[in-house]
Amino acid sequence: MNEIEVQYFAVLRERAGTNRETVQTAATTAAELYDELAARHDFGLPQAMLRVAVNDEFAEWSRPLKAGDRVVFIPPVAGG
Amino acid sequence: MGPFAFAGGPLEPDRYRDSLADPSAGGYASFEGWVRDHNEGRTVQCLEYEAFESLAIKEGERIVAEAVARYGVTRAACVHRVGSLGIGELAVWVGVSAAHRGEAFAACRYIIDEVKHRLPIWKKEHYADGDSGWVNCERCATAPRHAGPDHESEHAHALEQGDAHAHGSAPSPAHDYSRQIALPEVGAAGQARLAAASVLVVGAGGLGVPVLQYLAAAGIGRLGIVDGDVVEASNLHRQPLYGPADLGRPKAAVAAERLRALNRDVRIEAHEVHASPDNIDALVAHHDLVVECTDNFRAKFLVNDAVLRAQKPAVFASVHQYEGQLQVYRPLPHWPCLRCLWPEAPRDGLVGNCAEAGVLGPVPATLGALQAMQALKRLLGLDAGETPSLVMVDLLSLETRRLAARRNPDCDHESPGREIQPDEQPLELEFATLAEAFESGLELMDIREGWERAHDPPWLQIPSHLPLSELVRGHAEFPAEGRYLIICAHGVRSLSLTEHLRSRGQAEVYSLRGGLAALRG
Repeated sequence: MNEIEVQYFAVLRERAGTNRETVQTAATTAAELYDELAARHDFGLPQAMLRVAVNDEFAEWSRPLKAGDRVVFIPPVAGG
Repeated sequence: MGPFAFAGGPLEPDRYRDSLADPSAGGYASFEGWVRDHNEGRTVQCLEYEAFESLAIKEGERIVAEAVARYGVTRAACVHRVGSLGIGELAVWVGVSAAHRGEAFAACRYIIDEVKHRLPIWKKEHYADGDSGWVNCERCATAPRHAGPDHESEHAHALEQGDAHAHGSAPSPAHDYSRQIALPEVGAAGQARLAAASVLVVGAGGLGVPVLQYLAAAGIGRLGIVDGDVVEASNLHRQPLYGPADLGRPKAAVAAERLRALNRDVRIEAHEVHASPDNIDALVAHHDLVVECTDNFRAKFLVNDAVLRAQKPAVFASVHQYEGQLQVYRPLPHWPCLRCLWPEAPRDGLVGNCAEAGVLGPVPATLGALQAMQALKRLLGLDAGETPSLVMVDLLSLETRRLAARRNPDCDHESPGREIQPDEQPLELEFATLAEAFESGLELMDIREGWERAHDPPWLQIPSHLPLSELVRGHAEFPAEGRYLIICAHGVRSLSLTEHLRSRGQAEVYSLRGGLAALRG
């Protein structure tokens, strides 16, 4: 299990009810982590619509995670 | 000698005068501007003039040509000093030869007034107290403080004394850029770059309003405003450029009016249209930089593709409730575009816009101010060393996060957005009233959320209801058969769903253009 710091934006923040949380997870990639959290918070947004950033850089969904990583899930936003 | 020139050393009016001689000329009028020893109550010891010469010469030649054409004079010329000048030195000379004195005086007056008003020339005054300050020369054109008879006497005085500082013809005080020129990185040259620049602002809403206000105030030479909407009551809390008296008027026109009043140096061009595949390339082509301020993905990707084709920089921003995202595009080989970050162009309505999700005014205002700042940085060249990123701002937690972004090798910057093909069938239909829509033979489908329908007036009762959120989350399916007119509040979500259904092969679905907001009761 790794401890990962997760940050949510926009619609994901609304659904999760918080803008950040620290999770203990067995997920080994960003994609697995999203699946796990999407099920927990009922995100309802397919992963294909989102981007993920790990440690302040955009990353591939297949990116392996390690303890202490900072993960941000970013939905596109259109308001103006 | 050309019709307009700069001189680094003392002016030679006699030599200039001779160059205007002509057998057909019956008279010659001249104006000389001199350095005086005081300005606005402070004692001036000497001053420096700095000009953006390449630009100023072109504009100066244009002014002289205008004067010749307008007043039918024989010859005209103007020479302006640059560099350090002492009290009493000649700062500017204008000369006109003409058949008769009337035209000669008028053309001379026209040239000096326009030169003061239009040319990018700055003056640094050195005061007796050891202080110094840059003064935009245009401040010289400030109307005299006393109205009435004094005006004329002061003016006559100016002509007699050849006072370079007082020729009060301007209708209102000129714009003062001294506080931004004072920045070492900006200076007179930076101000000249802004004055020579043109910026297209797409969308004059929550983001666009602060962008337009700050760019106009900063003295951008030309601002294009693209917005096909009218001012609505629900806009006012976050778009304070507009007021209750503007309701129903085109946003672009109202914004242009306000901005012209704010800074008459700026040429404002209002385009009362929505950005579309038909107009976007022409609009982008006529500007140096684009600031994208719309509230929908469709327009954002349209702008993205156009700036890629035109190889122009652009500043994008979006907001959602308390958060915002900011991204700059620069036409550099390694630089990512909007599609590099979002290869699957998101569909509108799936993640909410201001109309649907709600927003506090300072959120778009903050992001709009950031956009204006990015635009100024680009135009002033203050962004050297900046790497591509998506900046996320959370106004609730006051956290910002800068995520490094990279060009997506699969993203085609050569022919961006080529998957967008015009549909044979129109996606949107327009109706004036709900009754007309009912009579069209299409089944009406309201996809607004339940809470949006709660306050509908009695005439607005659409029996079929399928909230978009249910469809997005897979809790409901849109009927696969039938002919539907899909309806939401402003026509953004309905268009997005219509596109989605069409892409799945459902041919007979349409979106109500402009949504319920566009209908008469």
